[in-house]
Amino acid sequence: MNFHAPGQPRPYSNPYLTGVGLGLVLLTAFVVMGRGLGASGAFASSAAGVTAAIAPARAAASPLFARYLSDGGPWLDWLVFEIVGVAIGGFASAAFARRIRFAVERGPALGRNPRLATAFVGGAVMGFGAVLARGCTSGQALTGGALLSVGSWLFIFGTFASAYAAAPLLRRLWT
Amino acid sequence: MSAPLFDAGLFGDRGALVVALAIGGAFGWCLERAGMGSARKLAAQFYLTDLTVFKVMFSAIVTAMLGAFWLGRLGVLDLGRVYVPETYVVPQLMGGVVFGIGFALGGLCPGTSCVAAVTGRGDGFMLVAGMFSGVLVTGLWFRDLQPFYESSARGPFTLPQALHLPYGVVVLMIVAVALAGFQCATWLERRAHRA
Amino acid sequence: MPTERSVVRLLAISAAALAVVAPFVGSPYAAQHASIDVTELARVVAREEDHVTAVELAQWIKERRPDLRVIDVRDPDAFATYHIPTAARLSLDSLVETPFRPSDTIVLYSDGGAHAAQGWTFLRALGYRRVFFLRGGLNEWLEMVISPTLPEHPSESQRAEVENVAALSRYFAGTPKFSVTARLEHAVPTTVRDSASTSAAIIARMRKRGC
Repeated sequence: MNFHAPGQPRPYSNPYLTGVGLGLVLLTAFVVMGRGLGASGAFASSAAGVTAAIAPARAAASPLFARYLSDGGPWLDWLVFEIVGVAIGGFASAAFARRIRFAVERGPALGRNPRLATAFVGGAVMGFGAVLARGCTSGQALTGGALLSVGSWLFIFGTFASAYAAAPLLRRLWT
Repeated sequence: MSAPLFDAGLFGDRGALVVALAIGGAFGWCLERAGMGSARKLAAQFYLTDLTVFKVMFSAIVTAMLGAFWLGRLGVLDLGRVYVPETYVVPQLMGGVVFGIGFALGGLCPGTSCVAAVTGRGDGFMLVAGMFSGVLVTGLWFRDLQPFYESSARGPFTLPQALHLPYGVVVLMIVAVALAGFQCATWLERRAHRA
Repeated sequence: MPTERSVVRLLAISAAALAVVAPFVGSPYAAQHASIDVTELARVVAREEDHVTAVELAQWIKERRPDLRVIDVRDPDAFATYHIPTAARLSLDSLVETPFRPSDTIVLYSDGGAHAAQGWTFLRALGYRRVFFLRGGLNEWLEMVISPTLPEHPSESQRAEVENVAALSRYFAGTPKFSVTARLEHAVPTTVRDSASTSAAIIARMRKRGC
């Protein structure tokens, strides 16, 4: 399969059908593992692991990292394996649909480097927010939302409200 | 044999990691199928031109919620054994607000950024790097954050408990809101494509 | 071959149907299993660390003890008629589904104490440590806090305590009575009184005064 083939990328699937599929994946996690999905937790685990490798004292001193360093270690963490799976599954889907493309997605008015910079900053801000909220859209919004957790629904509300409020100020990035 | 299967001892910790890979694979597949690996598509949600994010998220929540409720009610799944994340009222609300700002800036969330990165998107890759850095810095300065981080703890706390309503009533309310939201999404997208 | 739209429509209808039926089928939770270390629990009971007296509870409420949860396990009508101030009502089956914080101090009470004692056992089995119940129930509260009979001329050593109980009683809009023959009691009254009618009379008096 030539990943640089100029063949037509397939259109995206119906959002409702893929959403239901995603819900069934989540439900499978409930039934098989008794837990839900996540993503930011894998980042925290990796950060703990990297810190432990470079500066073990600092890692042990952080109550956040310490949690991931116990119980089998940060690399044999369920979420780390799950996120590796996410990468593999995402790649496979894109490969089959001819959507693998080396590009920097950005709004029409934004240059390549500014976009890379805002992506980095946005990621850092989300990293902080996800630590505070004990999760992100996967762990809190999807999982906690489906399980009716109050904190998760507060997170959903906070995220959407804040993103919609910030969007008009960030038009130059996207429109 | 009752579910959750892991609790019933059907497989051990190594098996759990294999399951993680498999579930993650299906998760990533679905995300990419829906186009959630595209930052422009995700950001369009916040300009009301493409509401795929809302449709995918809430279809997923409703499916898993109804599934958990009915499997629980039918005795197939022991719902009490499914781990419900603990609620910390203020940190999670504020975390959401902060997360939303980052989301509007970056256009991808942690899970979808991995999908974007792995399908060749440079912005996805930078976002992954940014997320890692943000979590790293937060972890290193965590002691200062800890008092706020642990404030307003309520333990596992569900909407039925908070609203003093039966579980099934809350389920109905959420499904109603979701279906109404889907209808609104259709109208908004139609309006955006007419303009 | 069904179209995408028809499949989506079918899913939406199914979701709506499942949701509409949901409120009528009861709880999705299965049985809650908990294990009890009977030896440990028996020791706690023997050391009398399982219950509090009404006066102690009154003290805790008055000094706004942090994380105090006073729980009334009776039915809604009884609760509405009169309940210990700051108490919340939970039936026993709701009680065992309620998540408490490890820092909470939980005090259960019922009319005579039997149901509260059962609730105590359940909560201890679920792992909560700071659980107590009012051994004499609401009857004890009414007789020892709201309408206590105190010695009119207490001894030196007892004076402070008598004054304290009197003050507590008044704090909760009660009426302490004084009698020369009364003795300061620390336990639930052991004399066989017609507790039910006495309590009812006390409650009726309080309601007439508009508490």
